[in-house]
Amino acid sequence: MKLEWRGEQRWVVAMAAVSLVLGAMLGVQVHARRLRGATASGRQARAVVGMLTAAETQLENQRAEIQRLREQLARYEQEAADERGLTRLMKEELETFRIMLGVLPVQGPGVELVLDDSTMRVDDKVGGQEVYVIHDFDLVQIANELWAAGAEAISLNGQRLVTGSAIACSARLITVNNVAISRPFTFLAIGNKANMVSALNIRDGLLDRLRVLQFHVKLTPRDEIIIPALSVMPKYQYAQPVVAEEASR
Amino acid sequence: MIALPMLALVVGFIAVYFLFPTVPPAWGDYVAIATLAGFDALVGGLRARLEGRFDEAVFVSGFFVNMVIATLLAFLGDKLGVDLYLAMVVALGIRIFTNLGRVRGLLIVARTGGQKAAAP
Repeated sequence: MKLEWRGEQRWVVAMAAVSLVLGAMLGVQVHARRLRGATASGRQARAVVGMLTAAETQLENQRAEIQRLREQLARYEQEAADERGLTRLMKEELETFRIMLGVLPVQGPGVELVLDDSTMRVDDKVGGQEVYVIHDFDLVQIANELWAAGAEAISLNGQRLVTGSAIACSARLITVNNVAISRPFTFLAIGNKANMVSALNIRDGLLDRLRVLQFHVKLTPRDEIIIPALSVMPKYQYAQPVVAEEASR
Repeated sequence: MIALPMLALVVGFIAVYFLFPTVPPAWGDYVAIATLAGFDALVGGLRARLEGRFDEAVFVSGFFVNMVIATLLAFLGDKLGVDLYLAMVVALGIRIFTNLGRVRGLLIVARTGGQKAAAP
């Protein structure tokens, strides 16, 4: 090697000193990176898990409370029905209203409709909306179509649709009755099978439009469908019944 | 002769890694940029030595001063909301790459006795 030999010793010492510092800094750097990753994501995850656990506990307590109150109510009704024939008539009427309100689980023939996002993965957007995912308005249209075709009870991913049920979208999350749901979306509808199938499958209708965009669409008529009750009763805080004498004025 | 600096690098790393296991996470970006500046100075020193114009005063002062300046610039960038950090990563990266290329060329020339032209 035709290198200058003159400053060899000093070169090695300078290089070694610098390398020592550089090595020390690499040590710091490895720790800093590891710590930063661990603290940032770990802290966040713990907080979210804590919130989730608290919410789940609360939900569980409230469900138990609902169950207790319903049993109590059933007992009262049973006692009342045993007393007189009039109350039995009222009870039958009450049953109808309960189906309408979604308080009771119901069963009967109907259709099952499963929807999922398109297999196409293109970042096409029309008016700021992604084209290849199911949106809240798709679900609203389908629910509407089912009611129009004579559905007597509908559920979406286990959530009973009743008067006042909202299918909404907030921050990329679809909610039904204020419960978040995610794909795949399953509609269960009790009613006239043939009517509902032909209404949904109508040419250039809702499902045709989804099928063209390669959405996963599966419509199955079934003889026996069970639709669950509404999990949480709506509260009427502002609406009050009109008293008879006020109404006659 | 290259063994001592390498050994020093490993010793420095091990010493800090095992003796100081807790480091403020906020240091991350600054230590990273300072390390890069230090590595740039190291490669620059190697090149200068192969070109026969090595001066340890220039080398050592350049190493420390460049690290401090790089850290200060990164800090300034943070305060101003400008990604000076990225600018320095790019600038230092190019310098390190160029210098390493030059070192490689010089080593080949040294070995073959100047029969082949040095790569730029």
